[in-house]
Amino acid sequence: MLSRLLPPGAGFRLAMGTLAVLAFLLLAGPLATVVWVSFFQGKIIAFPPEGYTLSWYAAAWEMPRFRGGLATSLWVALAATAASLAAGVPAALYLARTEFRGREAIQSVLLGPLIVPGIVAGLALYMFLIEAEILTGVQFAQTMGGLVLGHSLIALPWTVRLVTAALVGMDRQAEEAAAVMGARPLAVFFLVTLPAIRSGLVAGGLFSFVISFVDLEKSLFLVGPGTTTLPIAIINYLEWSVDPTIAAVATAQIAAISAVMIATDRVFKLTRAF
Amino acid sequence: MVEPGVQGVSDLAATLPPGPARVRRSVPGFALLPVPALVLVGIGLILPLGLIARYSLAEFDPADIALQGLTAGNYLKFFGDPFYREVLGRTLAVAAGSTAACLLLGVPAAYAISRARSARLRSALLLLAIVPLLMGNAVRALGWMVLLSERGIVNQALTGLGLADAPVRLMYTPLAVTLSLVAVLLPFMVLTLQSVFDSISPVYEDAAATMGAPPWAAFRHVFLPLAMPGLFSGSLLVFILGMNAYASPVLLGGPAFHMMAPMVYEQAVEAFNWPFASALAFVLMAATLVLTVLSSRVLQKRYGRL
Repeated sequence: MLSRLLPPGAGFRLAMGTLAVLAFLLLAGPLATVVWVSFFQGKIIAFPPEGYTLSWYAAAWEMPRFRGGLATSLWVALAATAASLAAGVPAALYLARTEFRGREAIQSVLLGPLIVPGIVAGLALYMFLIEAEILTGVQFAQTMGGLVLGHSLIALPWTVRLVTAALVGMDRQAEEAAAVMGARPLAVFFLVTLPAIRSGLVAGGLFSFVISFVDLEKSLFLVGPGTTTLPIAIINYLEWSVDPTIAAVATAQIAAISAVMIATDRVFKLTRAF
Repeated sequence: MVEPGVQGVSDLAATLPPGPARVRRSVPGFALLPVPALVLVGIGLILPLGLIARYSLAEFDPADIALQGLTAGNYLKFFGDPFYREVLGRTLAVAAGSTAACLLLGVPAAYAISRARSARLRSALLLLAIVPLLMGNAVRALGWMVLLSERGIVNQALTGLGLADAPVRLMYTPLAVTLSLVAVLLPFMVLTLQSVFDSISPVYEDAAATMGAPPWAAFRHVFLPLAMPGLFSGSLLVFILGMNAYASPVLLGGPAFHMMAPMVYEQAVEAFNWPFASALAFVLMAATLVLTVLSSRVLQKRYGRL
């Protein structure tokens, strides 16, 4: 009966629409909840809230583990971004400009860190660093160096992918013109190629930064006393308690990453990275 | 997002022009350009993987962590003990269930993005999928812990509407783990599908409609078959990530809910049993790999080269 009254296909559109709305609610709901709860007045989270306050942000800022975690995460992400650009840009240049047959093999190796699960790669690197420590007597595991090594690896495929795509997409004639006019290869690279792939570089760098900053699985094995990253500090706290303080910390992270992404979006449309 | 081994690598290869490298070829030292990156991956990933491969065949001595012996004992212990087999089975089940739910929700969501009427709606919906992806798993798990706790929004709604007399236990259940995992993995599915849907011209659906097909029939018999490769690579990616999930089972499953990735961590860091942890890591990788290869074989037979 009902189907006669509705236009043809209304049931299909309603079903698809409902599921799509549900999907977007599932994506946005948890983040919106975290932000909302961080302003709740009561220490024990209950709905509806008794009132609202900003005091949990101050409380979170007073906790050394979160301040330390933030500092560690920022330094590690900056160092990993620098390392992934330093190694990734020359590799991308090679991949985009070579006709060597082994190119695809090299490319698969460089994208490898994306394929190996974080927990497996983290375990492997952790055991490797401890073995190296036993051999040399120098501490590697649970140091900033070890963390940066692990994080540069997860950032590297992003840099290689985004910068290679930019190099392939750029107009090669400018490079050739510069070379014909007598510019040396290095001059061509720094004066013509790099400016032309600016947006790819920015995107590669910012993605590296974000991927490193929020990483959890790989860092689990690599952190130690004094070198705990912010996501690890959050998850350690969550195993014992859930309160507005941790929601404030999480909201701060959400705000920071949103800022980075808005900045990225101005030079490089985020939607193109996927 | 990148589809491990499925689309990311081949897509990128396809974008590289075959044209001659006229200028660069003569540049001295050009072939050395990829060396730093290769060394980085070699030291940070390939050598370590080799080390744990060897360790997975070593004997465990609680008093001495040094590598010793050559035995299949760690793998035999895993497959011989019903407890560990059950953990693997639960991991597979949670990953498969999450993948199915991601398909059910991801197809309509990606379809909505791909066929959005205005460009603004389209980019708004796309950002809604990308933003949570980049927020990290810890923060998103926290959202679910708040929603599903005893005094959480879900329970308030249930009791408020009279659907439940007392708060329902939602935390530390397989449902909570799956729900949070679906939310974590959904962006990967939506973004993979959306890029595939975009490449399918709406002309086909229009043609089917002109010929008198109702929307559901056009979707089912015209659109979905064309989108099959995308559905496949999206599901594969989500399944692999689901198998390796850490934060959701630990935070929403609680200490009694065992899955593979958290067990790797416990064995390595808490029990300090490196040989067994290495074997677990390899079982996890192998299970993922075997299922990937098997399913791509089956689907290739049916739909041709993906």
